[in-house]
Amino acid sequence: MFGRSRSWVGGQGKTKNIHSLDHLKYLYHVLTKNTTVTDHNRNLLVETIRSITENLIWGDQNDSSVFDFFLEKNMFAFFLNILRQKSGRYVCVQLLQTLNILFENISHETSLYYLLSNNHVNSIIVHKFDFSDEEIMAYYISFLKTLSLKLNNHTVHFFYNEHTNDFALYTEAIKFFNHPESMVRIAVRTITLNVYKVDNQHMLHYIRDKTAVPYFSNLVWFIGSHVIELDKCVQTDEEHKNRGKLSDLVAEHLDHLHYLNDILIINCEFLNDVLTDHLLNRLFLPLYVYSLVNRKINPQVSLYLLSQVFLIIHYQPLVNALADVILNGDLSKFTRSSASVGGVRRFTKPPESLERSLEMSRHRGRKRTQKRPNYKNLGEDEDDERAGGGGGGGEREKGKGTEGGGGGGSSKGSRASGETAEEIEMVVMEKCKVSELTEQNITDEEKTAAATRTHAQRSRPFLDMVYSALDCTSDDYHALFVLCLLYAVSHSKGQPYLRLQLPVPDQERSSYSLVLVERLIRVMSQAAQPDGKVRLATLELSCLLLKQSVLSGSHCIIKDVHLACLEVHSTQTRGEEIFLDMFEDEYRSMTSKPLNVEYLMMDASILLPPTGTPLTGIDFVKRLPCGDVEKTRRAIRVFFMLRSLSLQLQGEPETQLPLTRPEDLIKTDDVLDLNNSDLIACMVVSKDGGQAQRFLAVDVYQMSLVEPETKRLGWGVVKFAGLLQDMQVSGVEDDSRALNIVIHKPSSNPHAKPLPILQANFIFADHIRCIIAKQRLAKGRIQARRMKMQRIAALLDLPVQPSATEVLGFGQTASASPGGLPFRFYEQSRRAPNDPTANRSVFASVDKVPGFAVAHCVSQHSPSPLSSPSPPSSGSGSTGRCDSVTASTISAQSPTVSSSPAGSVHPPALAPSLTPASQPTISLLTDNSADTLSVESLTLLPPADPPHLHPCASHIVRACVCDVNESKRLLEASQHLCLHMKKDSFYSQKMGWKPVKLGARSTFGFFCTQVCPVVCMRVFFFCFVF
Amino acid sequence: VTFFYTVCVCVSGVGKSCLLLQFTDKRFQPVHDLTIGVEFGARMITIDGKQIKLQIWDTAGQESFRSITRSYYRGAAGALLVYDITRRDTFNHLTTWLEDARQHSNSNMVIMLIGNKSDLESRREVKKEEGEAFAREHGLIFMETSAKTASNVEEAFINTAKEIYEKIQEGVFDINNEVRRTRKAFFTHSASWTECGLSASKQQSISEELLEAGKCAMPPPHLITCCLCRLWGRIFIYVTM
Repeated sequence: MFGRSRSWVGGQGKTKNIHSLDHLKYLYHVLTKNTTVTDHNRNLLVETIRSITENLIWGDQNDSSVFDFFLEKNMFAFFLNILRQKSGRYVCVQLLQTLNILFENISHETSLYYLLSNNHVNSIIVHKFDFSDEEIMAYYISFLKTLSLKLNNHTVHFFYNEHTNDFALYTEAIKFFNHPESMVRIAVRTITLNVYKVDNQHMLHYIRDKTAVPYFSNLVWFIGSHVIELDKCVQTDEEHKNRGKLSDLVAEHLDHLHYLNDILIINCEFLNDVLTDHLLNRLFLPLYVYSLVNRKINPQVSLYLLSQVFLIIHYQPLVNALADVILNGDLSKFTRSSASVGGVRRFTKPPESLERSLEMSRHRGRKRTQKRPNYKNLGEDEDDERAGGGGGGGEREKGKGTEGGGGGGSSKGSRASGETAEEIEMVVMEKCKVSELTEQNITDEEKTAAATRTHAQRSRPFLDMVYSALDCTSDDYHALFVLCLLYAVSHSKGQPYLRLQLPVPDQERSSYSLVLVERLIRVMSQAAQPDGKVRLATLELSCLLLKQSVLSGSHCIIKDVHLACLEVHSTQTRGEEIFLDMFEDEYRSMTSKPLNVEYLMMDASILLPPTGTPLTGIDFVKRLPCGDVEKTRRAIRVFFMLRSLSLQLQGEPETQLPLTRPEDLIKTDDVLDLNNSDLIACMVVSKDGGQAQRFLAVDVYQMSLVEPETKRLGWGVVKFAGLLQDMQVSGVEDDSRALNIVIHKPSSNPHAKPLPILQANFIFADHIRCIIAKQRLAKGRIQARRMKMQRIAALLDLPVQPSATEVLGFGQTASASPGGLPFRFYEQSRRAPNDPTANRSVFASVDKVPGFAVAHCVSQHSPSPLSSPSPPSSGSGSTGRCDSVTASTISAQSPTVSSSPAGSVHPPALAPSLTPASQPTISLLTDNSADTLSVESLTLLPPADPPHLHPCASHIVRACVCDVNESKRLLEASQHLCLHMKKDSFYSQKMGWKPVKLGARSTFGFFCTQVCPVVCMRVFFFCFVF
Repeated sequence: VTFFYTVCVCVSGVGKSCLLLQFTDKRFQPVHDLTIGVEFGARMITIDGKQIKLQIWDTAGQESFRSITRSYYRGAAGALLVYDITRRDTFNHLTTWLEDARQHSNSNMVIMLIGNKSDLESRREVKKEEGEAFAREHGLIFMETSAKTASNVEEAFINTAKEIYEKIQEGVFDINNEVRRTRKAFFTHSASWTECGLSASKQQSISEELLEAGKCAMPPPHLITCCLCRLWGRIFIYVTM
């Protein structure tokens, strides 16, 4: 049909160019001929209006005379005329759309003024469209939005009429603030924000005096109703069925908070006063805070919502007042509801609709402009037939008495109105007016009241509730929210001081801080229990809080916290293969995604009771583990978190993690000395067809493809290097000389597919070379993984002082890297660019696996400086090291352990992965409780020399992470160990183990092994300095 | 039956409003001396023989208000990330935008990456391959368009809509009230029942289950697997566990 009308227009032949003044004149002619809308000319009119718009925009960009003509002929009047004829949906939509386009594309100020003069736009704004039609609604509201984007100090006068007190753009828009369609609500918010942003005092005064109270009170009620619905949703939830609805409601609440914050950020002072008053006294205090002690809504919901408030809203007066009530408020005036001091705070429905309030304020003119805005001033004289109105009368009198009080009315009045079901009432001790709250926290009455009481007696029910909720012996449902709230309060930008150091007298401050820290530590120790009900998010948050309160404080309350925990489950289906990947993957995901509390608080799923099943789709950190694999994952994460916390509190850098550091790896274009190393020539045919002649070299962690260096004989330039652990090798079906090799990049982005960094066929000279290469790669892969497992095992020792680490049984690497095992095979110094003179063979001939490059055995020649009695085992593994890795068993160890004399234990010829530290000086503890020890639970006090404890732990832990095949023997070994330790309790005395004092605090360690009859083992090591 | 989808378009100053007008109103022909754009538009399209209504809201000009962009993302079923191939800086900003969109939206939101102004080949600063690589890396759909020549504009929007449509059919998409409302409307639409070839009692039980599923945005897993229903198709695939 458009095509037809276009051809009709064009067919007149009056203009060749559809964008010109002449064409506009012609269109004007069409308009004058068709003043009444009929079925016949409807399409023509729509097309004409559209063409006019197009012409106007063209004129705006190219020819100013177009606008002159438009103005001169008052063509806008025609639009209005058409609109008023009830011309139907089609024309309405088209007209609104073209107006939209018109206002959006006008770039010249003058053109805009032309269009806005004559008040035509305001007539369109107040036109009663059929808003039940979704499409008209959408076009109408986006038309208003477009207009609001054009608002500035000049254009505002076209919309706001000072004399008639009219601001149709704003008042019409806010009538839709609770429209069911979310996009409409968003548009309304945009419009209001755009209006508040305009710095025009008259207009803002009008907004405050005439619209702010009705709008904000309705908005607050709207938010509150959502909160109650949200709470209902949590309460009635069964089996997480309400999650979808809940997340909608939470997101809605967040939207509101962000919106409120955006208003407050504009920093229009008197608007902020009104808004703060409403929020505080009609929503946050009566509904959220009061629920902490008197469950109007569930405490967990209110804690959750309050955290959101603190995380999002940063307006200082509001945040300070709110935090003050939570941390210091009491219920002392709870019963004195009629007291003149305590304001009555209620969450209650506004007695009239927003639309009606706006009507009233408009009609009543300027009578009350001088007065402080007060809800009760509105609609005072109206004949009130509404249900709520009758009860409102009493309130109004009161409201006038306490001018600016901002509180709601008396509960009596509204109850009569029959709206009791909808109101939530509360009486709470209050610091009175908001304006006072900013400068002064306590009113005179408060001060005198406080003076009569002693501080010790002062109760703080909200704070007490918050602290008591931190207990998570049964679950951490509440604790997570409390932690979030504390975090949010302390991070709130509105705080001039750290809120966790409570603003109370000195002696109380330190004690309260201690209370918090103690509780945090309790959360952590609970998390470290194998079956603790603490979620990872809770743990991470408590670590954050602890760091924050201890590290930033002027005096450290705790000097040292060492917590280590590891729980490893071995099942028959899972060997070290998965464990390593899991270990590295967990570390990656933990460091790549540090906990963001704001994001955490955006998730509705945590509002429901903690669950264990992944079927809910809840993120792993926000639920309890399910099954052995996840329990292991959790244990690994707990270990990482506590390790980093412990290191940070001691001010020590992380030297062992991550296991793979990019700077330690061989990179492309590195030049390496390859003399004496085994290289296999091959043709690399990549997937896209590229071919290259390369030499294949296998390193400890990596395989590399090199090509000869031209300048130095025996050196090679790395053309590609990839981690062996991520490699897949397979034969090629029809070619026995070829191997297919794929190396995947460890993926960090969950949205991306795992990207292969190498995908190629390697063609060797003959099938024997091919088999050799395949074996070498496969062995290298195993070896690489083993090395890493050993490093993990070493890590699990968790040295109290990493610098004093013992040799850890890896003699060959001790001097090369004092911190433990090598991160890489090639020492930095041997890399060509750094030290071109270094010509020692890297691929030393010590390896016994033919053609297989392994670590150079350095420590054979240089005794470890740290281990005073040089362990006999350090040299023993040197000859058959590579072979022994695979062939090693723990069985050799158990007799050694149990039969060794009290002096020291020397497990000979053990595989590195299983070798305990050089001196497994295991000893039993001479604590008073020594008699009660059992195999399941042994309490050890760490020795004066703390590292000595760790070999013992590492021994067990290492035993756990090794192959499934060996776990049975392991089991026996550890049982022996335990028994042995129990029997020889005197032994510990000999060794001089005793409780250690660190400063004034007593130190104790806790060591517990739990040996299940199944192949499943749980080892749990836990050392704690209090 | 018509359905509503809200798609929002982001990244400003790259000609996306022209793109939007090109899609929603064919009557505005692109002319060399006239640039017209629009920030809101609605259009009916047909996918698999079904009429679908697309509502497109633009986030332009509201970036300074965090609450607004946030809400837009949340309400949207799909988003178009548009950059200007003649301006490297618009491409460089994509990561920030994408992060923002991902953070605030439903994880199932369909995101399409669009390199606009493909007609200005001579001034190109961002290679097509770069756009493709970015899209691949972040799991987006990619296309280069031109509002001036109208090339690919239709395809860009319709492909996005198709993707959304597929997700809804799979049952993974269930983000907002609009969707739920339409779903309910369909469940109560009795005409489709007769075509399933199920007995009356069976129909009754399915209908109850579906209604239950329609009530909550995220039906419990057993319900999802239970009633894999094709919203627009006349065929219900009914799988019992």
